Amino acid sequence: MNKIYNIILILLLYGGCSQAERTSNEINIYSQRHYSVDEIQYKNFEKLTGIKINVVKANADELIERLKNEKENSPADLFITVDAGKLYRARELNLLQKLTTPIISKNVSVALLDPAGYWTPITYRARIVIFSNERVSKSDLSTYEDLSNSKWKGRLLVRSSSNAYNQALMSSIVANLGQEKAEVWSSGLVSNFARDPKGSDRDQVKAIAAGQGDIAIVNSYYIGLLLSSEKEEELKAGNSVSVFFPNQGEGERGSHINVSAIGLTKNSPNRENAIKLIEYLTSEEAQKVYVNNSYEYPVNPNVEPDDIVKKWGKFRSDNLDLNLLGKFREDAIFVFDKTGWK
Amino acid sequence: MEIIKKVFFVENKRWVIGSLFIAFLLLLPIVILFIKLFSEPGNSFFYLWETVLVDYTLNTFYLIFITSFFSLLFGIFPAWFISNYRFYGRSFYDIVLYLPLAIPSYIMGFTYIDILSFTGPIQSTLRNTFPGLSLYFNIDYLQIETLGVLLGFALYPYIYTAARIAFSLLGSNYIDLSKNLGLSTLKTFYKIILPLSRPAIFSGLFLVIMEVLNEYGAVKYFGINTYTAGIFKAWFSLGDVGTAIQLACLLLFVVILFFLLEKISSSKTKFYYDTNVYIQKRLSINKKKLLFVHIICSIPFVFGFLIPLFFIINNVIQTYSSIDFTRLFTLSYNTIFVSSLSSFIIIVVALFFLFIQKISKTKINKTISQLISLGYAIPGAVIGLGLIILFSSIDSFFPFPLIGSFYILVYAYLIRFLAVGKSPIKSSLDKHPESYDDTGKNLGLGPLKLLQKIHLPINKFALISAFILTFIDIMKELPITLILRPFNFDTLATQTYEYAVEEMLPLSSIYSLSIIIIGSVLLLILKKIINKQLNVS
Repeated sequence: MNKIYNIILILLLYGGCSQAERTSNEINIYSQRHYSVDEIQYKNFEKLTGIKINVVKANADELIERLKNEKENSPADLFITVDAGKLYRARELNLLQKLTTPIISKNVSVALLDPAGYWTPITYRARIVIFSNERVSKSDLSTYEDLSNSKWKGRLLVRSSSNAYNQALMSSIVANLGQEKAEVWSSGLVSNFARDPKGSDRDQVKAIAAGQGDIAIVNSYYIGLLLSSEKEEELKAGNSVSVFFPNQGEGERGSHINVSAIGLTKNSPNRENAIKLIEYLTSEEAQKVYVNNSYEYPVNPNVEPDDIVKKWGKFRSDNLDLNLLGKFREDAIFVFDKTGWK
Repeated sequence: MEIIKKVFFVENKRWVIGSLFIAFLLLLPIVILFIKLFSEPGNSFFYLWETVLVDYTLNTFYLIFITSFFSLLFGIFPAWFISNYRFYGRSFYDIVLYLPLAIPSYIMGFTYIDILSFTGPIQSTLRNTFPGLSLYFNIDYLQIETLGVLLGFALYPYIYTAARIAFSLLGSNYIDLSKNLGLSTLKTFYKIILPLSRPAIFSGLFLVIMEVLNEYGAVKYFGINTYTAGIFKAWFSLGDVGTAIQLACLLLFVVILFFLLEKISSSKTKFYYDTNVYIQKRLSINKKKLLFVHIICSIPFVFGFLIPLFFIINNVIQTYSSIDFTRLFTLSYNTIFVSSLSSFIIIVVALFFLFIQKISKTKINKTISQLISLGYAIPGAVIGLGLIILFSSIDSFFPFPLIGSFYILVYAYLIRFLAVGKSPIKSSLDKHPESYDDTGKNLGLGPLKLLQKIHLPINKFALISAFILTFIDIMKELPITLILRPFNFDTLATQTYEYAVEEMLPLSSIYSLSIIIIGSVLLLILKKIINKQLNVS
C-alpha cells in the first residue's frame, strides 16, 4: 500500500510543479503558430530580459474556447494566431484588450496595424497564384477575379475550403465584392477545378509539376519552403513553376495578405512583460530572425525579406482592414457550401 | 420494495458505492456535454443538415466500409494461417504482423502520399528509367479509396490480434471434426470458424471503426469531408461550439445504437465452444499453397510497416544534421512519462470496475461498466471541450488553475481510453471460473485480498497487455494533448504533427521514428505475452 501512497505523492508534486504561477517574471502564451523560429525568438528574449516564456500551442478556435471558459482565471497573457480573423473573433468575445505603444507604432508599417488597436502583426504572407512555366504565360494571369474565367477550365488547383487560408481569401473576396459577386466568382472557380480540392499547398505545386493542373492558389510561404528543399525532385518541382501576385494593375486592390499577429488578453496577469515581448518581436533584430528562418514577410519596414522571397519582386498588398477577414468568415463558409467548393 | 431490498442486500456494498462515485466522475464530462446540448442552442445544425451533413455522413460510411473491408482482409487471413498451419517463416510473421499499430494513422497517410507523389521515389525513379511506364503512375493518389486502404494497413492489427487469439483458442480439433464430416477447409473456415469467432472479430472491428470516426488529420489532408470533419467545421469554421456538441452527441447515440444492435443479434445466436485443450497441432501446407500463404502474410507487414519505416528512416538520415537531440530526449521523456502514468491509472480503474462487476453481480455495475467505455466514441477534442467547460466552472475552488494542469490531461486520457484498457482485462477475467471467487470467500478472503491473492496473479498477462495497448494509443494521441496540455509540454506526437502539417515532413521523421521504435518494442513484448497465453490455454 505504501508504494501506492508514494506514487500518489509524486504525482501531486509533479502536477503542482507544472503549474505556471499566476504572476511572476514570466509570460504565458496561447499560440496557433508552431514554427521552430518562434522558439528561437523566445530563447533570445529570455536571454535578453530574464523573463521566462511559457507556451501552449493548439488550434486557434480551441485556444479561444479555453480563453473564453477560463475567463479572468486564465493564465494567458498573449494570444498568437496566423490569421487576423481569429483575433477579430477573440476580440468580439471580449477576450482581448487594446494596446498601442510608441515603440510598436514605430516598429510596424502603418498599413499593417490593426485600425482598432487590438492586435499587433509580427509577420505576414500573401496568398498568391503560381503557374506552370511550360503551359502558362505570365501575361495570361491578372486578378483573382479572372481565375473564374472559363479559359482556366480544368486547369486550376487549390486545397479544400476547410483550410483557414482559403477561408481568409474568400472572406476578403466577400468583403471587397459583396456576397453575390463572391458566389458567382466561387462557382466559376469550382467549375475550373482540375480536381477536387485536397492536399497541402505544397501538393498543389507538385500537381502542377505532374501535369494535373496549370495554375494554383497557394501561400507564398510554402513556395519558399519547397524551393529550399534538400530533395532534388522537390526542387525541380518548385522550379517548374513561377510566382504571380494578382491584382497589381492600376486601380486594382492588390494581393490578398494575412498576418501572424499577437493580441494582449483581457486579464493578462503579466501585462508589462507581455508588452515588452510584443515590442521585441516587432523590433528590427527579431524581425531579421523571422526572415532568416522562414519565408514570411517582415512587418518592420526596415527589414528586407529572405533572398528567395525577394526574387519574386515587390508587390502591392490589399489594404483591406484585416478584421473583416473575421467578420465575413461565416459568409465565406456559406459561399463555399453553396457553390460546392469542397 | 424490491429495489430497496436489492440495494440493501447487494454484496460488497461499500465497493459498489465507491464504483458508482468513480463512474460519476468519469461520466461527468459527457453529462456536461449533454447539459450543454440543451442549454446552448447551436445555430448551424439545420444549416449543416441542409447543405453538407448528408454528404459528409455518406463519405463516412464509405470510408468505414473500405477501411473495414481491408482491415478484415489483412487481419483475418494471416491470423488463420498462422494459427493453424506450419510453414517456414510462420513465427516471423507472427511477430511482425502487430507492428503497424506503432505507426499513427496520420503518419501513414502523409508518408504514403509523399512516397507516391510526383516527386516521390517511385515516380521519379520510373521517370528516369522507364518514362513510358511512369505515365501510368502519374495519377492523383489523394482519394478516399487510397485513404481507406492506408487506414486498413494502419488499423488491421486490432482485428489480427482478436482473430489470432480466437482462432488459436478454437484450434485444430474443430478442423479435424469438420474434416471428418466431409467439409472442405474453406467451408470449415466460413461455416464454423468465422461464426464462432464473430464476437472476437467484431470487438476488433469496433475499435477500427471508432478509430476511423475519430480520424481527423489524414482525412483533412485527403480533402475528404467526414462526419467528424463536420463537427470541426461547426466549431472551427462557423465558430459554433453548440452545434459541434450537438453533432458529437448525435454520433454518440448512433454508436450506442450500433453497439446495442450487435449485442442483440449476437445474443440470439449464442455459441458455446470448447477451447483447445491439446497442444496446438498445426497442419502442413503443400507447396502450391505456400506461395499464396506467404503473399497473404507479407502484404500487411510490408505495406503497413516496412515501406513507411524505410521512407522515414531515409528522411532521418537526410536530416540528420538538423536533429536536436536534447529536444528529442525531452519529448521522448514527456511521451513515455505521460503515457505510462495514464496507462497505469487506466489499468487500475478498469480492473477496479471489472472486479466489482464480478464480485457484486448487480445489473447496475454491469451497465456502469459499459457506460464508462463511451468515451471512446467521442472525438478527443470534444472530450477536451467538455473538460474545459466543466473545470472552468469550478476552477475558483482550487488553489491553482486546473485547466492546463497535468491532472486534467491524464483525466481526459482516462475517459477516452478506458475502453482500450478494459477489453483485454475483461476477456481474461471472463475466462476464469467463478468457483475461484467462492473458494477465496470460503477461505475467508475479503474483496481486497481476493484481488491481491487471486485475480492479480492469474490476470497478470492481461494487465500487461492492457497496459501496452493503452500506452501505444496514448503515445499516438493528438487532439486531447493539443487542447489540454500544460505550458511548454510537447510530446513526440505533437511535434511530429506540427512539422507534418506545416509541410516539413522530413523534419518530423526523427520524432515519428521514435514513436515507431517505442511502439514496436512494446508490441514485441505484447507478442511474447500473447504467445505465452496461447500456449498455456
